[in-house]
Amino acid sequence: MAKSCFHCLEAVPSGFQGEVIFEGIANPVCCTGCQAVAETILAQGMSDYYKFRTETSGRVEELVPEQLKELTNYDNQDIQKDFVSEQGNLKEVLLSVEGISCAACAWLIEKQLLALPEIKRVDVNTSTHRAMILWNNELTQLSEIIGALMQIGYKAYPFQADEEAAQKQAASKAYMRRLGVAGLMTMQVMMFAFAMYFGMFSGMEDGFEQYFRWISLILASPVILYSALPFLINAIKGLKSRQLNMDLPVSLAIFGAYGASCYATVMSVGEVYFESICMFTFLLLLGKYLEFRARMKASEFTANLQKLLPLTARRIAGAAEEVIAAKNLQLNDLILVKPGETIPADGIVVEGTSTVDESMMTGEHLPIKKFANHQVYAGTLNHDGVITLKINKVGQNTLLNQIIKLQHNALMKRPKIVEVTDKVAQWFVACLLIFASITAIGWYHVEPEHAFWVTIAVLVATCPCALSLAIPTALTCAVATLTKKGILIKEAHVLETAPKVSRYAFDKTGTLTEGRFTISDITILDQQYAESMILSLASALERYSEHPIAKAFVDDNPSFIEIHQAHVSTGLGVSGEFEGKHIAIGKPSWFGSHASFAQATLFVDKHPIADFYLQDKVRTSAPEVIEYLQSHRLTCHMLTGDSSKAASNLSNELGLDSYKQACAPKDKQQEVEQWSNRGHIVAMVGDGVNDSPVFNSAHLSIAMETGADISKNTADVVLLNSDLNSLKTLQGVAVKTKQIIKQNLTISLLYNGSILPLAALGLVPPWLAVIGMSASSIVVITNSLRLLKL
Amino acid sequence: MSIIYVLIPIAILFVVIAIGVFFWAVKSEQFSDLNKQAHSILFEDDKEQHKKSNDGN
Repeated sequence: MAKSCFHCLEAVPSGFQGEVIFEGIANPVCCTGCQAVAETILAQGMSDYYKFRTETSGRVEELVPEQLKELTNYDNQDIQKDFVSEQGNLKEVLLSVEGISCAACAWLIEKQLLALPEIKRVDVNTSTHRAMILWNNELTQLSEIIGALMQIGYKAYPFQADEEAAQKQAASKAYMRRLGVAGLMTMQVMMFAFAMYFGMFSGMEDGFEQYFRWISLILASPVILYSALPFLINAIKGLKSRQLNMDLPVSLAIFGAYGASCYATVMSVGEVYFESICMFTFLLLLGKYLEFRARMKASEFTANLQKLLPLTARRIAGAAEEVIAAKNLQLNDLILVKPGETIPADGIVVEGTSTVDESMMTGEHLPIKKFANHQVYAGTLNHDGVITLKINKVGQNTLLNQIIKLQHNALMKRPKIVEVTDKVAQWFVACLLIFASITAIGWYHVEPEHAFWVTIAVLVATCPCALSLAIPTALTCAVATLTKKGILIKEAHVLETAPKVSRYAFDKTGTLTEGRFTISDITILDQQYAESMILSLASALERYSEHPIAKAFVDDNPSFIEIHQAHVSTGLGVSGEFEGKHIAIGKPSWFGSHASFAQATLFVDKHPIADFYLQDKVRTSAPEVIEYLQSHRLTCHMLTGDSSKAASNLSNELGLDSYKQACAPKDKQQEVEQWSNRGHIVAMVGDGVNDSPVFNSAHLSIAMETGADISKNTADVVLLNSDLNSLKTLQGVAVKTKQIIKQNLTISLLYNGSILPLAALGLVPPWLAVIGMSASSIVVITNSLRLLKL
Repeated sequence: MSIIYVLIPIAILFVVIAIGVFFWAVKSEQFSDLNKQAHSILFEDDKEQHKKSNDGN
């Protein structure tokens, strides 16, 4: 039985002996990284962290002195300009911190940082995973702050909030203020309204009634003039662009009834409706705010694009190298990229060889070998060699930025199904306005003194609040349910589109498969060695490699064997000494004559012992989901950049309707566009950056959480648990939501349709109008709430 | 009953103060992360050991 690590709770690999003493008991840890972090945390008296954490922290990678040294780059004033702001003699920075999982992390970070000299303020936000730090630069350097975070196991990067994020923050605060005012004031107005209701039955002195009306007027004014103002502004905006939107009758009713009530108060005639309009404003705002929150949370989750690009670059100036801000790179500059660093701009390799992980561009996880005259791209990760690059594209021209541009362009011409609902609403609004005017004119000719009040009654009673709540509440509830199940909806149209989808297209690597290699077959070439021995040797060696293939060996076969003099040979493999023999694992052709199609071969004294065939594992949920979708008469296709035979094998295995391989991002996009031109509604499921252009062409785009940040930013839906079964849930909830929206619309249209003639004839007294309006809204909301229980 | 003419404006004054406090709370980001605040009560602020490490710095 494997023990679990004290710090990260992952299984402790057998053979590792580290432990940490907590409250007198020795606890095992899984690696020296976790050990160092746990010891730091305990030594500084922050053991509360282990008592109160509700989520586990991730596994900690060991600190490399090289990395610590690089942090000092962040102290460079020139580089800091972009993300540090000055506040008097203090500096303020926003860090994006990896690994924050619960409130205990926030506490730990605050404690750790406040122990540094002259840190004035630390604010950790556990929902956005960001920390705001205010410090005095003379006593503490930024690199020390980031270093201190690393000591307790958190990786931090300077974060630059883009304009969009700042706007959303401001919008969220504005919503909260408006809601606060509306909520507090509505309570007060209701209080006086109740007093007046009782006064109606038991009689009230005229003086008191008039006083209460004035008080209600004063209390309701901020709600109408401040909280309800956005409705009016939207309505006017709509009118200016010659559109009748839902906000128009809403604001006509609110401001009309408010105006009428003010008139009634001043002139002491007729009825006042202050409490109804206040409550109406509050409920409407609340619905809109919850909808906004759900959407904001979804977008916060997907990290900032800029994180893909490093902030600094090493420029070669003469014989020396200097660190400069990446954005100051010029064409034809020579830069040096070390192992493990991200490439800052597009360039051509002039010197050195290395393998580069381009998975964020291509979605394919096998690193690509690069040597002289090869093109490398900004944002990709250099694996194992030192390379010198000559920059040939900077800024907007890099491939990464072009992909982003492509996706922006596609975004412009996205079919908006929402527009259809808007059109229906426009008709409804137009009819309502015409009807109200006819009522006004009709009554003006029959009984002019009643005309105004009857018209207001028509607007209040038929006030389309049930109608305007029908769609948003259902959508909000559905979104909340899906979020709980790990499905993030980023666009409101998803739930309308999903039930109509007729075709699903899947990316291969990372979507249908796990994007992670496992050993599928071992051919033993020297029968002297048993398979278990071969696997142990292989995993003992591969432990020293960072190559993604190495993970296939290490993850499944923990090894007891100690290797001496381990050495990583770039582009070839790993070698070492074991019991006096020279052993090595790597390319089949490493030591000459051995020819094989295997991905790796194990050698003892340069003699091949075993061939390893690796395979990307199919997600366990994939066959089930494909079957489910096909049984619902949806066709399933695969579009993959992979050109190998694995694609056709996988397609046969899963029984897909068709597949197309060796697709560039553009090919995928064309394929999907052809389908939609033929009238199909297409959903695309993918994970890489190469999928983000096609995401915009598809009617519905779904990204895996394990995918690249860009694709998560573009996608309409993000599957947080990366479980394909979520597609079933999504389909199910979407269909149910469609039903409920239909019911809601029927209820509200029936109510409005039946009360309209009655109100127009002057048969609806004010109290009945209010009750009818509230009751229809409550029925609609209750109906929508059923979606929460799915 | 005429006391009501005085009391109600005073009540309104309280509401105005409450709104002011609420606006301040929104402005100083008290609502940006509700999860953290709920747990913060569990953590002890100053342990002897921690103080020492503070002084040591």
